[in-house]
Amino acid sequence: MSKVMDNIMDALDLETFLVCGSEEEGRRLTLQMVKELGFKDADIVFIQFQGPGVRVRARAYVHRSGDVYGWLGGEVVS
Amino acid sequence: MTARKILLVPLDPVHDVGLKMIRRGLAEAGHETMLLPPDLSVEEVVQEVMRTAPDTVLISRTLGYGVAEVLARLVDLLDAVGVRDRIRLGVGGMAVRPELAAELGFDGGFGPGTTVAEALAFVEDREYRQVQGDSRKEKQDFTAGYSYEYRHRGIREKLAAITDMILTWAENKTSPGVERAAVREELWDVDRWRNYEPVNDFFNAYAGLCGETARNFYEKGIFPPKTRRFTRKEVAALEDYVSRTAERMMAPRLQRGRPKPLVFNQYGTGCPFMDIGHIKVSEGWGADGVIHFDPSWGARTEGLFDGFLTHEEDGTLITPANLNRIKKSLEPGTLWQVRAHRGLNTPETAVLAGKIGADLTKINICYGALGAGTEPARMTVDGIWTIRYAAKYNLPFDVVTNEELCGVPAYKAFAGMLITVDLALRLGGRPVLQPLFCYSPEVMIGGQMEDNYVDFNAAKVVALKQIIDAPVWPGAPVGFLTQTEDRVQSSAATAFHACAAAMLGADAVTIASSDEAYSGGPISVPAKIDTLQAVKAGFRFFGRLELTPTRQAELWSEEIIAGIEDTLARVVEKGDFVQALYDGVLGSREDGAYPGRNGRGTVIEK
Repeated sequence: MSKVMDNIMDALDLETFLVCGSEEEGRRLTLQMVKELGFKDADIVFIQFQGPGVRVRARAYVHRSGDVYGWLGGEVVS
Repeated sequence: MTARKILLVPLDPVHDVGLKMIRRGLAEAGHETMLLPPDLSVEEVVQEVMRTAPDTVLISRTLGYGVAEVLARLVDLLDAVGVRDRIRLGVGGMAVRPELAAELGFDGGFGPGTTVAEALAFVEDREYRQVQGDSRKEKQDFTAGYSYEYRHRGIREKLAAITDMILTWAENKTSPGVERAAVREELWDVDRWRNYEPVNDFFNAYAGLCGETARNFYEKGIFPPKTRRFTRKEVAALEDYVSRTAERMMAPRLQRGRPKPLVFNQYGTGCPFMDIGHIKVSEGWGADGVIHFDPSWGARTEGLFDGFLTHEEDGTLITPANLNRIKKSLEPGTLWQVRAHRGLNTPETAVLAGKIGADLTKINICYGALGAGTEPARMTVDGIWTIRYAAKYNLPFDVVTNEELCGVPAYKAFAGMLITVDLALRLGGRPVLQPLFCYSPEVMIGGQMEDNYVDFNAAKVVALKQIIDAPVWPGAPVGFLTQTEDRVQSSAATAFHACAAAMLGADAVTIASSDEAYSGGPISVPAKIDTLQAVKAGFRFFGRLELTPTRQAELWSEEIIAGIEDTLARVVEKGDFVQALYDGVLGSREDGAYPGRNGRGTVIEK
């Protein structure tokens, strides 16, 4: 994980509009996009399909409760 | 300070309001200002600069079209005529970003949101120091000023009879929860504990009063699932983080000129570190108070744990160390509520909250017994003692009516709320009414919110105000079941509800994050900012406007009042409050409320 990611308090949301033919396709593309960006702990928070495509908000959790948080700095950074 | 000569240039076809505001600030500071009209060409501006020979030239540009070209040409021309080096040149406005200004050779660039104070600092060639928000934000006791006098005689008389009934019934009863609270009250000295002095007397008496899970923790060192202690390095890093953050902390207000409602949000990520992270952000974006959420299983566990513990799932364990660390991280003006309201550790939670220094707690016997799973007799005995401790530690508490979410109609939930309120008043407490602003099963079926979400919520507030002079704190959170996973919709719905509460004269409001309807993972901190920002925008929009209830809202409020009185009459008729809970008088199985079973058979006759 990069140092910048250490500074994310908990999660990174990715919001965009994907041109696609169905919500199912939009969902697949979103998860693929998040995976290609290197995030493993990800989910789709919101997705809405209309004719042109999907309005989507995906979320990658960088720090979950109980983790060692990079933003605390100092020697505890993993 | 030397008075400067400043030329203000709206390099724009029409917009000059920003410069006019800055001109006023500069003039008040003793500077000489000259404001050019809009829509001059770059060449005309340069001629004016040469003619007036200012110390500083402030350009504003709102339109984004061709901004880089226009500004670059201005700088080039000023250079060409030989005046660029003699003036301090700044540019600001909607179309300007500091990076662009620097790239084009300006001495300063100011984007949207620039204040007059920033412009003044630039003109006076000094470093701009941002004012640290409203550092005078002080804790408010929003129960002050209320008489708690009843305005409805019939309801007052019935409540008095029910309170007598409950106190007589409970006179010779206790429970493991009450006993643990007594041990915590008598043997756990918070000052000794804070000084790292042993509190062995307490532990020796306490562990034996706990259920198996907590007893295993104390006697065998077995942690609850997915829970661990923090390491020393982690604690040191947290202390450093809190200290660094405190130095640059701002505590803005959301309400502008409006004195209320105070805005609360909730935390309970499982981890006190993450909670503190969320709390600092909430404070930074204007929350007036924060509410501690413990794990749902904590309500079913006899006994609290100990130590500085993190938990990987929703809800942060109530331990002295967890609460103490969170307390220490709070800004001085932030109100802090530790909920006691619904489980087997209710009275002890109030004691601990009081000793650690919480400002508020939360108690409701009826909701705890019907919607949160605690056996009615146990919840009644424990609830009475919780109220006593809340009174002793000067903790006002809201009386939540979340049983509405189970399907209990508002009038029954309010009858239950008022029973706890009246008990509290008899025992010296300061209760706060908490009507739920929600899209409840009652209205889904009954259609009261088919047209709008305002009238029925307004009816609730109107009804309560006609019954008693007491503070009102809609929650919790407002807008329940109206939010979706779309963060814009969710934030807007939250803001609308908060504004309705404000315009109905509410004293406080609890808001959710824009993740309210998302159940796939933990609430994120940006989602908390979303709703705080939305509420701020709403408060700005409506200002001090009041909401006048419609005729429909008044009719519904009359129905609610009649329903409350009828429900209370039925409890009086039963002659047994606990039996009334079992018999569904305050929320029935048909409604969707079921008497809780946790702690069944644990009430002890003394």
